Amino acid sequence: MSYLTVTNATKQFGTSFMALNGVSVSVERGEFFTLLGPSGCGKTTLLRSIAGFNDLTSGEITLGGANLRVVPPHQRDIGMVFQDYAVFPHLSVFDNVAFGLKPRKVAAPEIKRRVTEALEAVRLGAMAERLPAAMSGGQQQRIGLARAMVINPQLLLMDEPLSNLDAKLRIELREEIRDIQKQVDIATIYVTHDQEEALAISDRICVMNAGKIEQVGTPQEIYGNPQTQFVATFVGTLNSFTAGPALDTMLNQLGRTTKDGATWTIRPEHLGLALPGDTVPAGAASLDGVVSKYTYLGREAHVAVDTPAGSLVVQLANPGMAATSAAGEAVSVVVPPNALMAFSGEGKRLGSAG
Amino acid sequence: MPRFNFWTAVMILTWVMLFVLLFIPVGSVLVSSFYDQSGNFTLANYLKFLGEPRFHKAFFNTLVVGFGGLLGALLLGSIMAFCVSRFVIRGGKFVSLLAILALVSPPFIGAYSWIVLFGAGGVVRGFLRDMGINMPPIYGVGGILVVFSLKFYPYVYLMVSGALSNVNRSLEEAAEGLGLTPWQRTFKISFPMVFPALTAGGLLALIHAIADFGTPRLLGRGYNVLATEAFTLYSAEVGSNMSMATTISVILILVSMVFVMLQRYMSRRNVYHGNMINKPARIQLKGMRNVLAHVAVYFIGLCGAMPVIISVIYSFRKTSGPVFQDGFALQSYERILFNLSDVVRNSLTFSVAAVVLIVIVGTVVGVLVARRTNVNTAMLDGAFMVPYVMPGIVIGIAFIAAFNTGPIVLTGTATIIILSVFIRRLPYTVRTTASSLRQISPSMEEAAVSLGYSPFQAFLRITVPLIVPGIIAGGMLSFVTAINELSSSLVLYVGSTMTMPVRIYLLILDGDFGTAAALSTVLLLLSGTAVYIAFRFMGRNEQALL
Repeated sequence: MSYLTVTNATKQFGTSFMALNGVSVSVERGEFFTLLGPSGCGKTTLLRSIAGFNDLTSGEITLGGANLRVVPPHQRDIGMVFQDYAVFPHLSVFDNVAFGLKPRKVAAPEIKRRVTEALEAVRLGAMAERLPAAMSGGQQQRIGLARAMVINPQLLLMDEPLSNLDAKLRIELREEIRDIQKQVDIATIYVTHDQEEALAISDRICVMNAGKIEQVGTPQEIYGNPQTQFVATFVGTLNSFTAGPALDTMLNQLGRTTKDGATWTIRPEHLGLALPGDTVPAGAASLDGVVSKYTYLGREAHVAVDTPAGSLVVQLANPGMAATSAAGEAVSVVVPPNALMAFSGEGKRLGSAG
Repeated sequence: MPRFNFWTAVMILTWVMLFVLLFIPVGSVLVSSFYDQSGNFTLANYLKFLGEPRFHKAFFNTLVVGFGGLLGALLLGSIMAFCVSRFVIRGGKFVSLLAILALVSPPFIGAYSWIVLFGAGGVVRGFLRDMGINMPPIYGVGGILVVFSLKFYPYVYLMVSGALSNVNRSLEEAAEGLGLTPWQRTFKISFPMVFPALTAGGLLALIHAIADFGTPRLLGRGYNVLATEAFTLYSAEVGSNMSMATTISVILILVSMVFVMLQRYMSRRNVYHGNMINKPARIQLKGMRNVLAHVAVYFIGLCGAMPVIISVIYSFRKTSGPVFQDGFALQSYERILFNLSDVVRNSLTFSVAAVVLIVIVGTVVGVLVARRTNVNTAMLDGAFMVPYVMPGIVIGIAFIAAFNTGPIVLTGTATIIILSVFIRRLPYTVRTTASSLRQISPSMEEAAVSLGYSPFQAFLRITVPLIVPGIIAGGMLSFVTAINELSSSLVLYVGSTMTMPVRIYLLILDGDFGTAAALSTVLLLLSGTAVYIAFRFMGRNEQALL
């Protein structure tokens, strides 16, 4: 049996809104597990049910084999990191971090040792006596992290801890969180709506939508082998081909056939560009089209091309100085043989890995 | 799962308290206005009100002083707010202090100070007469309006200057970029932005002007308003007409309520939240304009604080009986020390008792309203608006009517005065507690819970320390209003429960201005100390005084 299990969790708000609709997940010891989804998908509701701040309408939660739902939140021994930091403004940095050790009846010298250690781990050792009010968001969240870890909780929960920080700091701090988590080896559930963050930080990701789980898997599985169209669209970007004779011809060239009600898609980085009339690599297909927009992003460039099978975005890695295309230019989009993904009308993945 | 817990008990007790101290007394006023002396149902009181020219006149006069005071306060307050928040004014802090002085100065002492200066035997008037200029004495409606404008302008000033310094400068710059002239900019951009603050400040001035009793009493000389009529009818030695007094009280409440509704209606869709990216900067004026701005600001500030200055000076003047002599002495203070120490003691004990009650009850109810939001607490929040529109004299008369006979008899006790102050000031504490609680993120308490503290401990160790400075500051400001309270105490006092404002009022009626001035100075000193403590706890924040 897994370390933390949630079985058939449902949470109903009001008479009709189902924030969670039959959710089951399991998390292993020491695992970094991420709940990923758009706002309102139920990820925070699930996290708060595990923390005990709101109770499930029905379902089971166990931690280390024991029923968690009967334990009041303050006895669950679960550390939590909040989106708005929730750092106590009237206590010094040291007292903030020591706050959770006092009800655990830890002796004073021991408190001093553990708090100092935790503050060193989040690189705030020099600021122990300061009041947090004047500190930056990144520093406050480091306090929040140290405060949640220092109690050696059975489980660490993080509710979008980086979403109030600016982009650079977000990347820096997520690396730190990842490193510290591996060091202390506490099972962690991390909530975010940022797909890149989820891919970078997680052992496993659970993608949620409308109160249900879409897919659970490693970052590679989620990105590379999405099981639903929602996951494929939410994590990364996706081109969808427009159904019609052009698509049929292309599929024929690739040795595939149209399935009824299927949506054919491909990731932009799998597409290539060629000049019209160029020879296409063996097994690949090509679609002639006209450039509608060229976006240069430094390490990559996005070229939007209008083709008979719909408008497709082609992502080019390392575009050179000369590799610009102007709108109206005639080009050919190269579609490799094994990168297509087909989804059923209900958004389920058809066929095996492409 | 509605189970009986602490908060349910608080909720029930709060409703009980509101009914006993507010709805039943005020309701009984409402009811008793429909009965004649012998207890038969009648509309005669209202017909009498509609029929008698005396009441027509009082009603009309109330509107005149209300709107006159409103206009004067709006004019003075917005000029001052505009100058202080938009131009560099030397000693801007001092100007704000003058406004605070005017705000916390004991009621109606203003009226008397102006009589000292411009009354029949007024100092300034005498001086001008010696120079050959004959000006009319200040009595009558003109005097009332001057006093109201100068007494109530701080409401508008503090509200509007707060709003003005919150208008994002970018908005005006954007308007400038779109080609609006400075005048168009002021009227199309800045004015709509501060309009809610303007109406809110104006409403405060209006409600206070309508409810004010002391000023028209001393300065009116026959210019009667509803508040003075109600008091006269209530206190007449012969033929005290309680039911007519209550009828006028009801009409006074209605007038106040109409204006509160009107203000809410006018500013209903005009709530703007500026982002503070581009704070407005103060402009350094040059030449005549600079002089003009300084003169305007200091003239308004000093005139508003004049009563305070006068009474401090006069409190040190040598007296012989009630008559002033040349030179200075501490006689007036000696008289307080030997004859009036019980009045000072009464004021202090009543105010402290009321404030302690207000802080405890107000905090608990504030937590209830902010943290247990449901239909019931929303109704509770609404019910706390009621004392806000209740003129003090009405609360006084209502308490007399309710607690004179029946199950609870409190007439003539200290309790009745303490409770009247308590119920009038409680809403402010409830609201400030609730709003400061709403600013504390709930995740703060959740963090403490996740760290191992029970919800109650989390509240005690995290939320309470965070709101305590605000509560202490609020308590201090309640103390200021409590100790300066006149109109309800005047109805409720008996010899042994006389308070300082009541005594000052009686001293002025007796013509003993030296002692009145000294007592006022003591009152001012106590108020000033409380304001100082409040500002120490929450930072300088003039708007909290409103």
